[in-house]
Amino acid sequence: MPSMKKKIMVNSIVGGLFVILVLWAIISIPNKSQKNTNSEQSITKTDQWSRIKKEKLITIGLDDTFVPMGFRDKSGNLVGFDVDLATAVFKSLGIKVKWQPIDWSMKETELNTGNIDAIWNGYTITSDRKKQVAFSKPYHKATQVLVTLKKNNINKFSDMKDKVLGDQTASSGDQTFEQYPKVLKQYVKNQKVIGYDTFDKAFNDLNAGRIDGLLIDEDYARYYVAHQSNPSDYTVTVGDFPVNDNAVGFRKTDKQLRRAVNKQLAIFQKDGRLDKYSAKWFGN
Amino acid sequence: MSYLITIIPSLMSGLKTTLGVFFLTIIGSVPLGILVSLGMKSPYFTIRWLINGYIWIMRGTPLLLQLIFIYYGLGMMGITFPRFESAIIAFIINYAAYLAEIFRGGLQSVPRGQYDAAKVLGFSKIQTFFKIVLPQVIKIVVPSFGNEVINLVKDTSLVYVIGLGDILRAGNIAASRDVTLTPYLLVGVMYLIMTAIVTLLLRRSETVLNTWR
Repeated sequence: MPSMKKKIMVNSIVGGLFVILVLWAIISIPNKSQKNTNSEQSITKTDQWSRIKKEKLITIGLDDTFVPMGFRDKSGNLVGFDVDLATAVFKSLGIKVKWQPIDWSMKETELNTGNIDAIWNGYTITSDRKKQVAFSKPYHKATQVLVTLKKNNINKFSDMKDKVLGDQTASSGDQTFEQYPKVLKQYVKNQKVIGYDTFDKAFNDLNAGRIDGLLIDEDYARYYVAHQSNPSDYTVTVGDFPVNDNAVGFRKTDKQLRRAVNKQLAIFQKDGRLDKYSAKWFGN
Repeated sequence: MSYLITIIPSLMSGLKTTLGVFFLTIIGSVPLGILVSLGMKSPYFTIRWLINGYIWIMRGTPLLLQLIFIYYGLGMMGITFPRFESAIIAFIINYAAYLAEIFRGGLQSVPRGQYDAAKVLGFSKIQTFFKIVLPQVIKIVVPSFGNEVINLVKDTSLVYVIGLGDILRAGNIAASRDVTLTPYLLVGVMYLIMTAIVTLLLRRSETVLNTWR
């Protein structure tokens, strides 16, 4: 056992160091984030266009389970509508794309902490998202549809009265559902929706009868229904939800990057390349 | 069956992440856990309090939250680690806390008399710990340590939240692409194989260690 004197000494040294550490953290961390505002190094506070052009590399975040926008083929390569489009757009700008898989519920955090430079993955413009993200011009339109089993005879949104609805957590469908309660929310059971992390699980529950309807992006619905063993078992109902615009999400500070991408998207629209990709992945 | 073979390559690349997190966590958290467990028995109350606070935070919050905090939270404060490194840090400090409690139990089960006997025989403190106490502690903690290791095999799947592609995410991708749940079945089998290997190794080490008895 150490002597009383030694005990007091060590205790006060360790305690003192801890107090200093905590004080330092309290003082320096807010300071640091303030310093970042002025520092040129800060990714999230200044326009990154010059860095991206110099490195010829942009990091784009995507949910690599999101068919047909961006997903992996059997050998693990990223494919999909958005992957084709973004690669081509940046290729014409002389920039290579580094795709970074992210958790979809963390997408805005990833963008605003500078881990990714853009969100390009069937990303829908919503007013909530506009507060955190600057959007490009929309390049693709889709609406939220209701997928049900044909045998349940649900042909309009009001047929969902007291039925159980599912969707993807933090998806734009989820936000639209809350934003326009009159369209669908007023009908469904307990005015609540069951959130799944991925749509394949939701589809499975639909087949198992645990949910009666699935609120899902139109493109996604088509892909999924087409890949079921019996596509004619399903009804896809288009209701009164507004049409969603898919766009690329950027940090608000990255104005030059946004301008460059907008310009390219307009060119792609004009020369028909956008329609070509659309036909390839959505079949329409 | 032929479908399963086509998805194996993508699952294998996910397996690399899973095994990477698993082994690095074991390598990092065992020594840290031993240090922490020794600190809990420190004669200085400040050290004990700090360590108890650390263990309270690590065991009192979900590992998922700690992952989010270390990657996104610290990132916002200007302390940035790459994805994989963040995951390793979070797993090591979390598992060290659980392991420390297990090691503490082991340390406490070594009778006081053994320390006294070692002192009488002229062993130094360091010699006592490494030559007399530690070998007994190892033997005592193997079963509960094994429990944590098996938990770790499965906890590695939490890295999805910071965008790392582990085996479960690879299964997720295959499931949403091919609209079938079969990939999950294969993922489950792979976890079972991993835990079976861990279990066998632990059993084996228990028998080896038992020869001293």
